[in-house]
Amino acid sequence: MKHEALLWLLILVPAVTGALALLLRSARTILGTMCAGVGISVALGWYVAGKVLVSGPVSAGAEWLYLDALSAYNLGVMLLIYGLSSAYAWVYFGTELREEHLTLKQARLFASLWCGALAAMTLVFISNNLGIMWVGIEATTLLTGFLICVHVTGESLEAMWKYILICSVGVAFAFMGTLLVGASTHGLGLRAPEVLLWTTLHAHAASLNPACLKAAFIFLLVGYGTKAGLAPMHNWLPDAHSQAPAPVSAIFSGFMLNTALYCVMRYVPIVEAGTGNTGWGLRLLIGFGLISILVAAAFILFQHDLKRLLAYHSVEHIGIITLGVGLGGLGTFAALFHTLNHSLCKTLAFFAAGRLGQMFGTHNMTKLAGAMRVAPVWGVGLFGSLLALIGLAPFALFMSELQILKAAMDSGAILVLVLFLFGAGVVFVGALGHAIPLVWGKTTATVQPARAGVLETLLVVLPLVLLLVLGLWMPGPFQTALNAAADVIRHVNPVSAVSLGGVTP
Amino acid sequence: MTDLILVLVMLTNLKLLASSELGASIRVVAVQGVMLGLLPVLAHVHDLSLHFAALAVGTIALKGAVFPWLLFRALREAEVTREVEPYVGYITSILVGLAALAASFWLGGRLPVSTVGASSLLTPSALFSILAGLFLIVARKRAVNQVLGFLVMENGIYTFGVGIVAEMPFLVELGVLLDAFVAVFVMGIAVYHINREFDHIETNRLDRLKG
Repeated sequence: MKHEALLWLLILVPAVTGALALLLRSARTILGTMCAGVGISVALGWYVAGKVLVSGPVSAGAEWLYLDALSAYNLGVMLLIYGLSSAYAWVYFGTELREEHLTLKQARLFASLWCGALAAMTLVFISNNLGIMWVGIEATTLLTGFLICVHVTGESLEAMWKYILICSVGVAFAFMGTLLVGASTHGLGLRAPEVLLWTTLHAHAASLNPACLKAAFIFLLVGYGTKAGLAPMHNWLPDAHSQAPAPVSAIFSGFMLNTALYCVMRYVPIVEAGTGNTGWGLRLLIGFGLISILVAAAFILFQHDLKRLLAYHSVEHIGIITLGVGLGGLGTFAALFHTLNHSLCKTLAFFAAGRLGQMFGTHNMTKLAGAMRVAPVWGVGLFGSLLALIGLAPFALFMSELQILKAAMDSGAILVLVLFLFGAGVVFVGALGHAIPLVWGKTTATVQPARAGVLETLLVVLPLVLLLVLGLWMPGPFQTALNAAADVIRHVNPVSAVSLGGVTP
Repeated sequence: MTDLILVLVMLTNLKLLASSELGASIRVVAVQGVMLGLLPVLAHVHDLSLHFAALAVGTIALKGAVFPWLLFRALREAEVTREVEPYVGYITSILVGLAALAASFWLGGRLPVSTVGASSLLTPSALFSILAGLFLIVARKRAVNQVLGFLVMENGIYTFGVGIVAEMPFLVELGVLLDAFVAVFVMGIAVYHINREFDHIETNRLDRLKG
């Protein structure tokens, strides 16, 4: 009973905070309230997610709300990213307030939409009804649209228009897919409230109409894939990521993409069981994953803008996660691990890019040269996160990518292995070529270095330390939780936890 | 009766492809929305439940009145000429539309969904609306026109939903309708901002971000 109430609170707290932000009259108070609201959500969410990971799924509201290991894990990571980004937003917009770049109206708009987006993303994770899950995804698109143009400029409007239009159209396709999944239950005699419940579909997966399910999965993959930034549907992503204020870019890249990908993951076990465990859906995922990695690698070579570079990194890493899920077995486990690693690393990179951008007044990488000397803390943050992003050992991203490689090797997918390595190699060389002058290059601009406070240092150190620790040592409970989450996706062919133990160092 | 509405929906799509005036286009989409709102009522005329009645009223109010009002307001505030300004000419558009119609009938017959009790025109009509909507988004410069394309596409998916998944829970339908409303609302505000910033609402000039 108690946990049921907590599930409701998870949506209510950010929604109420968002509404409250509209009523307050000082920009500082608004940002403070926002951070407090997010903080409460994080505490609540982690508590519930921890309970679920230890003692199994909880549901509420006649099974409309449902949290199992997969959603609990994703919810936990999302809240971690949201918490960090909110603290960063306090720093970032605090600077803008001091320099009077941010009006009260803009602060209000930002805080209410920020909390609204948190409520919408939470809804995606805790709803058992696939229709409501879709509603949550579309709501995040619409709520975050205006976050891109908190500062209205020609470019930010252009980015926002592309984002809203491309994602709305994409997500409409996902709705078509949801309808087709509903249509595939014809003849099972389900009642209206049960038709789109994930738990019901999962239980009846083997007796769904396979042809209908295949058509549905194509629509779903293209639809949610657009929102997740899978190539070739990624066109909106570099624009939106580069134009949005840094805290917003961090959330976009850090967890909004994963939220859409989570929706695809939800359908994987249903589609696999419904199409007779032939691996049909998984092969599609591998294809989209590889295309994303290769397209991103090509574009990373020619970037001049730091935030656009990071945006293409997102396309690459979302591709890697998709590839991992497609490979199945150990790959699924690694993909979920990679989700956390990528989100942590990418948020840190965007934090650094944002603060350096504020100091230098530009995101052009030629002008940002020598950033480490001007701002040591954020310079280290940027360089560290770029190194981790390209998969350097011993950061955690290296470990998860290695596990995905091993999964490819185990399943004998040599072509996949070669293409993945080629893409990752190009990214490694390309991004390193950008990163080194960025840090040690000759400073061209005359910039007043801003001293980094305790909070800022903490925001750099915390993600880096976490990435390092997770790269060297995976705590037992964390591994169990990851396995439980991965088992939800690969329900069709469970891999024992023992066989996975061998790859963790 | 259902067939008549579905045929009319297809005709409104063709009319949209040929329409050269934005105001007329908005009105055509409004008419299409009202007709689609009537669709579930007519399909369940003998066993009309509160669920379908409420859904019909909501759909008609939104698609027939609120959306056109929002779009006309965006158009008025943008103070632009009302020419559609196509990338693809009207004659070509009609030809593309006819080809899309043929493709919809072909595909509609092959799509593996059981349409027991529903009209055989339903799937082709839904697919045609989706294709026509996509074409309008790609082939027209005006931001308002792209919103209309999005609405036509939504209408297509709605048609599909009414016929195929009659058992859809009410709450989900409500959520979907709410999302559509917010989408048009947000796009309306965006059109207004774009116009103020650029002195036009032609999306082909939104081309500063590349690579």
